[in-house]
Amino acid sequence: MSTTVLHDAAEQALALMRAQGFDHAQVTASLTTQDEVNIANNEPSLLRSTEVRRLSLLGLFDGRKASTELSEFDAEAVRQRIAGLHADASSAPQDAANAVSSGQRVRIVQGPQQGDLGLLADKAAELLAFRARETPRMMIDEGAALHTRTDARTLTTGDSDLSCCLGWYSLSAFGTARDGAQSSSFNYTGGAANDLRERPAVEYFAIDQMLRDTERQIRTEPIQSNFVGDVVLMPNAVTNLVGWLLSQISDVQLIAGSSLYRDRVGALVASPLLSLQSRFDAPGVAAFTSDAFAAPPVEIVREGRLMALTPSLYGSRKTGLPHVPTASSGWDVAAGTTSRDELLSGVARGALVGRLSMGSPASNGDFSGVIKNSFAIADGKVGTALSEVMISGNVAQMLRDIVAISRDRLDTGAFRLPWLRIANLHFS
Amino acid sequence: MNQAVQPTPAASTYVETRRHELRKSRLVMIDGSLAMNSRTAEGGISSRVYDRGYWGFASAPDSGQGTNLEQVGRKARENARTMARFGPRTAFGLPGGSYRGEHAFAGRPALSQKECVERLAELHAWCAKRYPALKSTLFMLQDEHHSKWLSTSQGSEVLNSIQRAVCYMTLTAEGPDGAPVEMLDRISGKGSLADLDLSIEALAPVLDRLHEQLQDKRHAVSARGGLHTVVMGPDLAGILAHEAMGHPCEADLVLGGAMTRDLVGQPVASELITMVDYAHSRDGEELMVPVYADDEGTPARDAVLIERGRLTDFMSSRETAARLGITPTGSARAYNPNDEPLVRMRNTAILPGSSKLDDMIAGVDDGYLLLKTSNGQADSTTEFMFGISLAYEIRNGKVGSAIRDTTVSGSAIKVLSSVDAVSDDMQWTCAGYCGKKQPMVVSMGGPAIRARAHLGGQ
Repeated sequence: MSTTVLHDAAEQALALMRAQGFDHAQVTASLTTQDEVNIANNEPSLLRSTEVRRLSLLGLFDGRKASTELSEFDAEAVRQRIAGLHADASSAPQDAANAVSSGQRVRIVQGPQQGDLGLLADKAAELLAFRARETPRMMIDEGAALHTRTDARTLTTGDSDLSCCLGWYSLSAFGTARDGAQSSSFNYTGGAANDLRERPAVEYFAIDQMLRDTERQIRTEPIQSNFVGDVVLMPNAVTNLVGWLLSQISDVQLIAGSSLYRDRVGALVASPLLSLQSRFDAPGVAAFTSDAFAAPPVEIVREGRLMALTPSLYGSRKTGLPHVPTASSGWDVAAGTTSRDELLSGVARGALVGRLSMGSPASNGDFSGVIKNSFAIADGKVGTALSEVMISGNVAQMLRDIVAISRDRLDTGAFRLPWLRIANLHFS
Repeated sequence: MNQAVQPTPAASTYVETRRHELRKSRLVMIDGSLAMNSRTAEGGISSRVYDRGYWGFASAPDSGQGTNLEQVGRKARENARTMARFGPRTAFGLPGGSYRGEHAFAGRPALSQKECVERLAELHAWCAKRYPALKSTLFMLQDEHHSKWLSTSQGSEVLNSIQRAVCYMTLTAEGPDGAPVEMLDRISGKGSLADLDLSIEALAPVLDRLHEQLQDKRHAVSARGGLHTVVMGPDLAGILAHEAMGHPCEADLVLGGAMTRDLVGQPVASELITMVDYAHSRDGEELMVPVYADDEGTPARDAVLIERGRLTDFMSSRETAARLGITPTGSARAYNPNDEPLVRMRNTAILPGSSKLDDMIAGVDDGYLLLKTSNGQADSTTEFMFGISLAYEIRNGKVGSAIRDTTVSGSAIKVLSSVDAVSDDMQWTCAGYCGKKQPMVVSMGGPAIRARAHLGGQ
């Protein structure tokens, strides 16, 4: 399917929405193609090629809203679905917050538009060769090298016109190290990049470090007694903190009134060491929102101070909060000034944590979770891998208790994150 | 089977072709405002080929004509052959036989979007009137319907239909310190939203109980971290089965190094524990996720994973069964039309015992009663965790204060080996998704069990 066909499909669907009698409408036509070389149990196993076509329609009628998606672009199928959508909207309650965007203009062409299948195979082979040579006790249960291309065009009755042609590569590895009857916990890393030619496969997304660390996690020890100590969170564990904060400042929590940060813009909500901002030009990310707004750069936390909440247009109109458009992903925690060695050497007792295995934190931020892919730290020295160890605390408090941030960061595309040292966690 | 599609073998050892429709509806009402009102329909065709030890897969939107089918078949064969650049790979004969049949749930006629909106509005209005001090209500209705027409070169011709519906109910109050406190409950079942009883009469007792639990939780105390005697309610036994020993008994994870591989025939749990991943029925009654043949066309059979405490079987696809030398269980399932089948659970349960829940609680001097869970994770080591969103202290055999959200964890083998009581009742649920490269609809069930497990806390 050509880009022209896709763009025509969006225009035709919007015309049909108008003809159906919707007061306002938003239409997105998209096509995503993917080629994926899969690794299973340390061997290349599958080449997967997929094509997903989607027409997303949102209609407003008399202040009432309904949305739908279909994979058929055939005019008659679309016409029928739009008639059904009108009936769905008619039955919805009126809500003055319903609206669509106006006057937005975005055109993004980003990343490799054509995938190189040979490159994908080479990267999978490099990954497997490294594993066999450097970390032979590691079993890569699942690995993938893939190229994704997404073309999309979004139109609204408010004359917004946003389109993108995004291409990107991804690499990932997930597995376990094993020695005799003993095995490590699962471990994982991966991410998205605009090019995979710049360095060996395992040097992307710290895959080499993950494979080496996992081999060191075959033999583990529990802690001997409960204590209060520090954690040094590796970047993949930092995503839990950032993800929780982002959920607290978005629609559902703001509308329901259950956000801890609803009235905290301008206040210190985290350590002054912490700054969080967007990077909506990250690989695989289009700098516009699902409700058809351009998403310019935004600062969420500056030196610990909350700078913005991120309601959508609907959330903004519902709550009276300023509308702050954000893309689907692409976040950046500013680098600190501390080396990773210094980060660790400052810990009297605690753990270096690769992954937090935990339930969703409570609405007040309370949480407890098992620390996986983790090592004990005593007197600034990293010791044995840990098993069956939990930490508990409060995520909002953890943001305030950040005591050091690394200079190094891990860039996975969706997130660029440093290592964080956080005090006062309860270990059990 | 008028919508079945014919595989095109062409010198390949195995070919499967799937036409897959996925229809979903989702409505979210927050404090009486309809934040989401969505119906989606996705259709696609896919082909997967096993050729000289490598797999090729291709999928495309379903054009309703033959063109895409021919194209995806050709692309899948080409992809399998392209993999030969990695060198020779052992090719296994794929066991499992074939199946011919059509299975679709005959439920009530679907609710219109209008009827769904009315149900939500009624629920919100009823809660607003009955619990005026609430800070917020959130209700979500969600159903999804997978129809898969499958043909394989081994002769399978199958229509599999999986349909499930869920109603989530979340009440939020303010705690004594002003911070939000919330409780969630859900009802789920086979079929569409029309097959759930969403009437006020049916849900009032559920909401009253949820509101009581919310009040308990407003004054919750912290759990004491460490190893404790815990009584896990029936809601938790299912997720314990799923996370603790279900995932480590999936054959692809077994091949990947899960420690269960060396434990077949050995004790891994108390003799009170028998755990089964049911294919489609139990005691003659069809379960919530009935799989008569999987997405490789393998006739599905029950997998008895643990029998009276001993590990006995794994869940498998054709290839993983061949690699392990076991009989396939028909557990290969794909979520989206563009997904390849992976080894997934179906209806996983710990079987009931003979104890009474009240007696199990009365027998605890110092411990916890765990009643509701949020999410969970498994591990190759069998060390599992799941979030606990509702639990109470037990002191001298009596249920005491609620505790704040916590996490329960432990080695599944140690925890299941410590089980000293299993209740004689059983509950099933079919809410949420299992995550593993793709999401998946599964059901889980179980009785209450008493064991020793690790709780997060201070």
